[in-house]
Amino acid sequence: MEEVDKILIHALRQVGTEVGEDIDRVNQFTSELIVEAVVKCIRVIDPGLGGALPTSLPPGMSARFRVGMSLAQACQDIGYKGEIGYQTFLYSNEPEIRSLLMFLVEKLPRESSETSDQPTGKSAVLHRAIAAAITAQLAVSWVPLNCRLPLHCKTQSKAASHSFHVHPLSLPHCTKGQKSLKEVKHYQRDILFPVTAQFPSQTSMVSSILEQHTAELSNAQEWDTEWKSQGLLSRLTPQEYHSRKLTRLRKRIEEQLRSAAALGSAPSDLILTKGTHFTHTQKFTFTQEVAALTSPVHTGRQLEGDTQPRQQEELAFLQQQFQQLCSDVEQIAADMKHISVTNAQVFDELKQMELDNVENDEKMQVKKKTIDLLPDADSNLQKLQSQVEASANRVVNLASQWEKHRAPLIEEHRTLKEFCSSKDLESSRKLSEIKSLHEKIQVATEEAKKKEELYKQLVTELESLPQDVSRSAYTQRILEIVGNIKKQKEEISKILSDTKELQKEINSLTGKLDRSFAVTDELVFKDAKKDESVRKSYKYLAALHENCNLLIQTIEDTGTILREIRDLEEQIETENCNKTVANLERILDDYKVIRQENSTLAAKVREG
Amino acid sequence: MLSVGLIEKDVNGDTLWVWCYPSISPELRDLLLSKCCLTQDSRDFHTLVFGQFSRTWYYITTVEVQEPTALNKVTHFSIAVTAKDFNPEKYAALSGILCRMYIKHGSPVKMMEAYITVLTKGICQNDENGSFLIKDYDVRKAYLAGSIKDVVSQFGMETIILYTALMLKKRIVVHHPRIEALLEFTRVLPALTWHRKDWYILHPYVHLTDAELEDLKKCPGYIAGFVDPEVSNRSDLFDVFVSLPDSVITVSQGAKEAMTMGKLHKDIAQVIVQSAEDAERSDSQVIKDISIKTKEVLTNLFALADECEDSKITLEVLKQHHFPPATENFLFHLAAAEQLLRI
Repeated sequence: MEEVDKILIHALRQVGTEVGEDIDRVNQFTSELIVEAVVKCIRVIDPGLGGALPTSLPPGMSARFRVGMSLAQACQDIGYKGEIGYQTFLYSNEPEIRSLLMFLVEKLPRESSETSDQPTGKSAVLHRAIAAAITAQLAVSWVPLNCRLPLHCKTQSKAASHSFHVHPLSLPHCTKGQKSLKEVKHYQRDILFPVTAQFPSQTSMVSSILEQHTAELSNAQEWDTEWKSQGLLSRLTPQEYHSRKLTRLRKRIEEQLRSAAALGSAPSDLILTKGTHFTHTQKFTFTQEVAALTSPVHTGRQLEGDTQPRQQEELAFLQQQFQQLCSDVEQIAADMKHISVTNAQVFDELKQMELDNVENDEKMQVKKKTIDLLPDADSNLQKLQSQVEASANRVVNLASQWEKHRAPLIEEHRTLKEFCSSKDLESSRKLSEIKSLHEKIQVATEEAKKKEELYKQLVTELESLPQDVSRSAYTQRILEIVGNIKKQKEEISKILSDTKELQKEINSLTGKLDRSFAVTDELVFKDAKKDESVRKSYKYLAALHENCNLLIQTIEDTGTILREIRDLEEQIETENCNKTVANLERILDDYKVIRQENSTLAAKVREG
Repeated sequence: MLSVGLIEKDVNGDTLWVWCYPSISPELRDLLLSKCCLTQDSRDFHTLVFGQFSRTWYYITTVEVQEPTALNKVTHFSIAVTAKDFNPEKYAALSGILCRMYIKHGSPVKMMEAYITVLTKGICQNDENGSFLIKDYDVRKAYLAGSIKDVVSQFGMETIILYTALMLKKRIVVHHPRIEALLEFTRVLPALTWHRKDWYILHPYVHLTDAELEDLKKCPGYIAGFVDPEVSNRSDLFDVFVSLPDSVITVSQGAKEAMTMGKLHKDIAQVIVQSAEDAERSDSQVIKDISIKTKEVLTNLFALADECEDSKITLEVLKQHHFPPATENFLFHLAAAEQLLRI
């Protein structure tokens, strides 16, 4: 009970009730204290209800009575199911008060206890203040300069905004394993400016760095995803994969350029036009654009003035030149055509002659050999034939020998290939396993990160939690109590089972007793009719049975009475705690006071 | 015949060049591997594919191996025969025999024996109780095996464009997504210039690789068949582009000037179309008719040439005859093609 009281008092102190330092048990609470505690609790639980209630009892008895009733009503409104009335507050007794206070403390909302729980840690306060300020600032959305309220001015700068201008950075790349030249190193170390000094104007610094960083980051991420998805599957090393990708892209670029060039050079309508008909003479006929031959301008007009003949002379001269040029151009065009055609012809002739040469060469060889063999034609013919047959046989022989070598090799090749493909299956399975492992690793690292952060957070929170109320002590006690209760439960169940056993035994014994008595009774009674001594023994038996029954009865009664005594003693104890006598006296006094008040009020009413 | 090679595709999905006789250069080997339908990703299976590279004809026959055979772990194989002459039927028959032998015996030795007998004696035992004789397969038959009537029925009067391009030794590129259609169409085109009987201008199956295009550029005029639709963007490769699925013939800008046509062409076109549409005339007869007409034109040209000294024509001589401009242009270019121009 003491711990419960301690917890209750502590909770009440937190709510704001001024419980004196020396009070540590609920039965030391006075009515005023009770009322104050209850009202403060109700105010926290339900401000609407609690606002109307006073924290202290007024002096007048009837007012007190009224306050008591309203408090009881409020408690019932909150949800207290027990019996409650004005008497609980004015004439209190310990168990009722304890249960009521426990109910109210339980109903207290949790945050209130928490927020009033962290007063002291300075760094905790600072942290929380910073976090709150930053969240508030981030929550404010960015607004252009003209629309800004004072709220925005604190966090959004008034300087003119600059356009996002990116300036390329020159960063020394530290590529692993690659030896950079001495000059490059020297350049990077001594001459290259640091990043912050590489910009023409400060405004582009942030944007350029951001751009560079995001580019690198997205590059790395893309490479990561590509490698994980396609690169691993292709089973090449990263360098090989890179180089293959490069050649593939180059080829594609070449194709695109070629098709674009082809489209560009020849107008598109010429290559892929629809079919023609012979009647469409346009396509087939020779459409040569004859260079416009200007007909000589006949100056049939009358010459007027001196300048006219000179002009006409010039004109005629120019026309002549022009005609000359035109005919030259024609001539050259015709020449070109002629030359290209003759070129084709010559090329053709050349090729033909080359081929003829080769053919004639071969023929000559054969003829030469034949002529050599001609003198002894028949025998040579025979010899040739036999030689041909012999070489044919030899070739066939060689072929069969070669086949003996070749077949097992091909067989081996095929079996190795099969083996390879089965290995492929395995390796692809392993690859997929690796992929899933990668994913799991990623997930696990993320989770670990989160948990670490959470852990740090919780550790700081734990440090900032108040040390005065040692929850661990309470939890220990609670666990102890639970253990005790468990033990007690066990013992109770043991006792119950013992009791059951005993009862069973008693029952069986009683039964046995009855049965044996019945049997003896019959037996003896049978003989009792005949024999006097047996009759006497029968009487003794009956008396014995009677007395024993009485004994047993008395024992049972004693037991019952003892139990009653125990119950009554318990009741006496509880009633003693109720301080009923004191309360009764107070009630009587208050009753007298109320009667007096009533009479004074009645007198006042009669007078006025 | 030059050589025979064996390409196998096994259960691992690898296509390997497993055997060849006598020897094939690595370049040609790579080419044949790329032409063989076993290396291509698409699941199309082509029984016979032929083409030309550096004046060497290659014929690739592909067979799917049906269980059970002496060949284990092989799902498909191709036999590639290279030769100097154009004769798809002959080499298809020979390859068929070789394929069957290979399947039966599971070893290329027997195959080689048959090949050598054909090489040395020109005859080989066919396992179906017959024999394969080289002399059964005349080259003229191969030249005439294609159907000129189909070409004319597909393009009608526009066939004259193909005729003109062939006469003037221009570069024709044909495109069709299916290789068999391509082979069938292109093999008959050189027949339009029957007087030359030059099938080396035919490259029926070309890919857009550097090596093959280099080889193609060495020929002044050619007929090249492509399966790749990208070739329509490569205007540097052709003077005339034929898109078979759309039945469209396009003349490229650079060649328009040389390919202008006039009344002479109209005449020839009519002859071609009339002859082809006649149901009673066979393909060879149609080709004969075309060649007769061609001969007429050539005789005229030679007559013109004879008039000049050293029997070479010049443009002035042509101009003297006052032909219509289209005809004059055509005759001029034809003279260059027939090597009659004075240089």
